[in-house]
Amino acid sequence: MKPAPFEYLRAASVEEACALLAAHGPDAKLIAGGQSLVPMMAMRLVRPAWLIDVGDIDALAQISIEPDTVTLGACARQYVLAAHGGLGAALPIIAQALIWVGHEQTRNRGTLGGSLVHADPSAELPLVAVMLDARIGLQSRARGRRVVSAREFFTGPMSTVIEADECLVEVRLDQWSGQGLGSAFDEVAIRHGDFALASGCAQIALDPDGRVRRVALALGGVAGVPLDVSGYAASLVGQFIDDTATEAIARSVAAALDPPADLHASSEYRRALALTLCVRVLRTATARARASLTEVA
Amino acid sequence: MSDSSQSMGAKPFRYVGTHRRTREDPRFVTGRGRYAADVHLPGMKHVALVASPYPSARIVSIDARAALALPGVVAVVAGAELAQYTDFLYVGVDAPGVKRYPLAVDVVRYAGEWVAAVVADSRALAEDAAELVDVTYDPLPFVIDPEVAVTTEAPRVHATYPSNILYQRKFVWGAVDEAFEAAPHQLECRVRWGRSSTVPIETFAVLAQWSPGTEVLDIWASIQMPKFPDQTARALRLPGNAVRVHFDVDVGGSYGVKRGIKHTVLVGYLARKLGMPVRLIEDRLENMRGGDMQGPDRIFDVALAFDERGVVRAMRIRALDDVGAYAGRSPLQLGKPVGAICGPYRIPCVEYEPCSVMTNKTPQEAVRGFGQAPTNYAIETAMDRMARQLGIDRIEIRRRNLIGRDEFPYLIPSGTYYDSGDYEAVLDKALAHAGHEELVRRRDQARADGRLAGIGVATCLEPSGGNSSFEVLFNPKNETTTWMEASLVRVDLSGSITAVMNTSTSGQGHETLVSTVVGEVLEREPALIRVVHADSLNALPSNSPVGSRMAIMLGGAAAGAARRIRANLMAIAAHNLGCPVEELEYVGGDVRVAADGSRCLTWDQLVEIAHRKFHRMPAGLEPGLQASFVWEVPTGGGLPTADGRIQMYPCHSFETHVVYLEIDRDTGKPTIQRYVCGHDCGVMISPDIVHGMTFGGIAHGIGAALYEKFAFSEDGQLLAGTFMDYLIPSAHEVPSMSITDHCTPSPLTTFGQKGSGEAGYLGGPAAIASAINDALAPLSTSIDELPMTHEALWVRARRAPSATGHPEPR
Repeated sequence: MKPAPFEYLRAASVEEACALLAAHGPDAKLIAGGQSLVPMMAMRLVRPAWLIDVGDIDALAQISIEPDTVTLGACARQYVLAAHGGLGAALPIIAQALIWVGHEQTRNRGTLGGSLVHADPSAELPLVAVMLDARIGLQSRARGRRVVSAREFFTGPMSTVIEADECLVEVRLDQWSGQGLGSAFDEVAIRHGDFALASGCAQIALDPDGRVRRVALALGGVAGVPLDVSGYAASLVGQFIDDTATEAIARSVAAALDPPADLHASSEYRRALALTLCVRVLRTATARARASLTEVA
Repeated sequence: MSDSSQSMGAKPFRYVGTHRRTREDPRFVTGRGRYAADVHLPGMKHVALVASPYPSARIVSIDARAALALPGVVAVVAGAELAQYTDFLYVGVDAPGVKRYPLAVDVVRYAGEWVAAVVADSRALAEDAAELVDVTYDPLPFVIDPEVAVTTEAPRVHATYPSNILYQRKFVWGAVDEAFEAAPHQLECRVRWGRSSTVPIETFAVLAQWSPGTEVLDIWASIQMPKFPDQTARALRLPGNAVRVHFDVDVGGSYGVKRGIKHTVLVGYLARKLGMPVRLIEDRLENMRGGDMQGPDRIFDVALAFDERGVVRAMRIRALDDVGAYAGRSPLQLGKPVGAICGPYRIPCVEYEPCSVMTNKTPQEAVRGFGQAPTNYAIETAMDRMARQLGIDRIEIRRRNLIGRDEFPYLIPSGTYYDSGDYEAVLDKALAHAGHEELVRRRDQARADGRLAGIGVATCLEPSGGNSSFEVLFNPKNETTTWMEASLVRVDLSGSITAVMNTSTSGQGHETLVSTVVGEVLEREPALIRVVHADSLNALPSNSPVGSRMAIMLGGAAAGAARRIRANLMAIAAHNLGCPVEELEYVGGDVRVAADGSRCLTWDQLVEIAHRKFHRMPAGLEPGLQASFVWEVPTGGGLPTADGRIQMYPCHSFETHVVYLEIDRDTGKPTIQRYVCGHDCGVMISPDIVHGMTFGGIAHGIGAALYEKFAFSEDGQLLAGTFMDYLIPSAHEVPSMSITDHCTPSPLTTFGQKGSGEAGYLGGPAAIASAINDALAPLSTSIDELPMTHEALWVRARRAPSATGHPEPR
């Protein structure tokens, strides 16, 4: 388990990183936290000739909370995101998801951008990005900056639209307006910290009278990419939410899935887990939204 | 929490059984251990392996030219060369034609088998070069399913051996058929123990150096293996005194699997051939796929004959064990359970049919308990089934069958005497400690609330002492009945004590063990006693720390040597005080006249006489102050009767596990919420070490019961070859556990101790399975295969509860 030979370079700025990527092309790979890349290199499943370290670029570690939008640098460490007070208030779903990401030790090194570009279909941060339809900023020397919607970013297992010369620089997430917000993340993994057999997250906004104002719902581990299934929950808008409605949505979502099978879970089992997780995250998010309304009152 | 009443007779122990800081742990927790990988020799070369991608294939050609052309690559060696210059590795049963060399010879027999070894300046370079070795294979038919492998039509794993069955015999101890015919009730069940193992943090590591000047092969290896120096020398065609194994390297866990004989023979051969120090440290992929370290993989068919009260009259057990592609000692793991084949129960006659079969899988190695944990799981499952069938409580049914405290020594049908025990007392303690009545209320409330909740109970034996008579039982050509252990104790001129042990330690705390017993006998502070490991050229005979034997055997040997020192001190004092030994008393190392304490020689004075003042020594006593003691395992030395009865291990510890768990109906996820182990391993020399090993054993048992499996695909590929898929329970999955101790001293041992190195693991899986099946009982379903995966639990949890909320009779 020694990586194939590679050259190591350290970039001091985004521009330098992009220049190095442009110079070395598809043989180059960016590294930040290394929590997924290094094991894959050790098993020689990935063998970059050039490893460009962007982990020390301060500009990539920024966290900026504005009234409507949150902007997170690609190299923001997961433990920093999990403990960030302002982010916790603005988008609690991030910290709710991060509890499930690896272990405390891996979160100390792992980054937001690393998790997104790795694009494991059962990973937590890509799922949150898809649910909130994050806008992912990519930069290259040749074409400058472009922004891709998270729902278009992921193209398959371990696969994204990112080009070989591009560096993921930031992730922008909208904060929902108004009161009565609640979110939830839940997953089933065989051991805590393993990749999820299935995962789910939801965010709900309630009107002061308790009717659903807005809802987002997404599922991980049940397809090649994280799935936004908010459309199945759209019928809730303007309605009071109850267990019957929640279960009906979950059933319709699960029926439409064709999850992959592997050593640890069959397709049928994953579908059932997706159903359960839909119910649970909708229920928990609703309870939190209601609690938030009560606090306001 | 342990009983404070430990003692032998009236005199309480000074050090044995007390809570003291261990001798070795400070260096481990401060990062000062010295492992095989910490030994660096100038000019040392590194090995990487080329592994077969096929479960069965003929090796057509091996082209190493590209690898050898890489700068820094020293050699590429394949199996043909080893077959020419080394002898095949030890086989535990009489199976001529089943030969194993460190590298595949002509044919590969499992995916991952090592085909060629690449030696280079660094491990990374060796891996680069290994990728360049071009091997051409001609795939052959293979067999993965053990039940297919036993048939005559199955592809043979070894063409030179008449079948895939390495060993099979039906033992009948007593009138089993008659008992089954006469019994009013019977049951049959099939249970399956999945292919799991122990997976130490440290993979196997070995470094060898051949010294042409002295003609000695020096070996540093992370081993736990009987007769390792001897087997290494034989395979390398060297005299025994040309191999020096350095037993002083720390071993980063073993729990049975650190045998590494093929690794060592390979590296020893390379070091000698190349005239350079060579080391091999398996990476995790090599370890799990090609390290020959997977554990038992068994299908049990159990039948019980019993009366209406649930008293067992006879038992039949058939065990089919899939040992993978080669033999080694693995078939013998079906042999050790002969010594506890009826568990802790009063079962008058037993039929046992072990069958060891080869398949095209990674070979099996010894794992904690040497086959006893799977057997215990099978017996306990049958006991639970009987309780359900009769509608009798599982605990009550055990009480009706447990051997009584006044029945020891108890002879079981297969020829072993159980030394001592008080099984029901341990069961009662565990139930009380767990708050069993409260657990029942909690379970019933959970069920009323619609949840799946279960209580598990298991009462299991832990044979200990390592009288490995399964060797002679399973191989008539083997007459090994000697399973000795030894120690040398020395008091130097400064009065300091050094004790020598003669094997390696793989985490069992032998330095604490030896210093405690030597301190106990000599009444000297154990913290000041140094314990060292001899190397194999200056070692006394040893059989290594297997079979939960060291508290008994090394503890007994060290105590025996210390007693000789003590006797010498008394003799010196008697001579110098002019007083018969009988009138002297030994107090803390000083010797004085019992009737007149002022007439005394101190420890320092006695040591000085022994070392410097020959003129004051009694006639016939050796100068200096040292003594060795070698002893045969208690009850050892026997050969089997014609019907296969034999005394197996001498001592029998006992454990009761009580588990409460719930299963999430919607996801199948089990959560253990209460875990109590009642444990009796006689007198505990170091209770903290015993408890630590027991906690570790339970965690290992949780893994075997719920998580760990070396799964293979139908096309013979290992699917769980990394920690992404071979799932070891982490701190999140292992619950808080509690141990309650009981002490029934063994009459056979120095201080009344029994073994405990396999504690926890021997009953844990059975108890967890019992709890899972109790939780599933209201759904009239069960699961009889380990590991009990989340999905398997979910499949069963989906069933609707039966109308009564109780299981239907089977």
